[in-house]
Amino acid sequence: MRHVAIRSDEPESKPLTEPVLWILTSLASAPRHGYALLGDIENLSGGRVRLSTGTLYGALRRLLEEQWIERFVQADTSRDKQAYRLTPEGRRQLELEVERMKQLTRAASARLRTKEA
Amino acid sequence: MNSIRAYRTLLRLFPGDYRAVFEAEMLDAFSRAAEERRKLGRFAVGCFVGSELAGLALNAPLEWIAKATASDSVRARSLPDLRRMRPAGVARSVWFRDAAPSDSAAPDEVADAQRRVALCIQLMEYAIANHDFQGARYYSNEDLKARASLRELKAKYGIAE
Repeated sequence: MRHVAIRSDEPESKPLTEPVLWILTSLASAPRHGYALLGDIENLSGGRVRLSTGTLYGALRRLLEEQWIERFVQADTSRDKQAYRLTPEGRRQLELEVERMKQLTRAASARLRTKEA
Repeated sequence: MNSIRAYRTLLRLFPGDYRAVFEAEMLDAFSRAAEERRKLGRFAVGCFVGSELAGLALNAPLEWIAKATASDSVRARSLPDLRRMRPAGVARSVWFRDAAPSDSAAPDEVADAQRRVALCIQLMEYAIANHDFQGARYYSNEDLKARASLRELKAKYGIAE
């Protein structure tokens, strides 16, 4: 039988889904409410990603459960709104994901170069 | 507007605790995004509304599955448990006096106002449960406004308190 040891110092995170990654990225710079998130994600992705409200709020609900984001009342000039911001854990998860993606692109680039050479 | 009515109808497919927290925000985001698409023409609005309604129909069963499979303690981080939020010693009939659905065929405006009151109460309870007292104060003020608006509407349509 093959035994697999899990290293305790390894990050326990799984790859994030695309909506979750976009939401965390959008919230990394500033807190936003739901509608602002939709617009910012569309801008960030150059119009490629348009989340539906159902997908957005489903993902927000999961992120609240994971405690990667938190809700707070944002004082606005016109009216107060519930907004969302990253928690330290959310920021850490985003950093881990960015590191994972960097590693992946480095590996893929290296393999492509080997193939070309 | 018909699209908002259709959206609101589909939102009823979601679990109650989910709606208590997100319904108003989702409606707001949808109506503002639809308004923005309106500048791009009817086709753009049609595509947007279609994808939004399809998204709701797809996500509602997923939310029920999430509700059925998540433990109460984990779910309580994001959504209030509506069965447990009424303060001790306050009768349900008193607490939800204005929020209870009316038996009569009240106009949509009145039903909307009643839902708004119910939503404010639920959000206020949720905020208190999570020690978010700034949020609780905000929803308490919103609740007062919603109740005043409901009283005005009831007077306008001659509905007894």
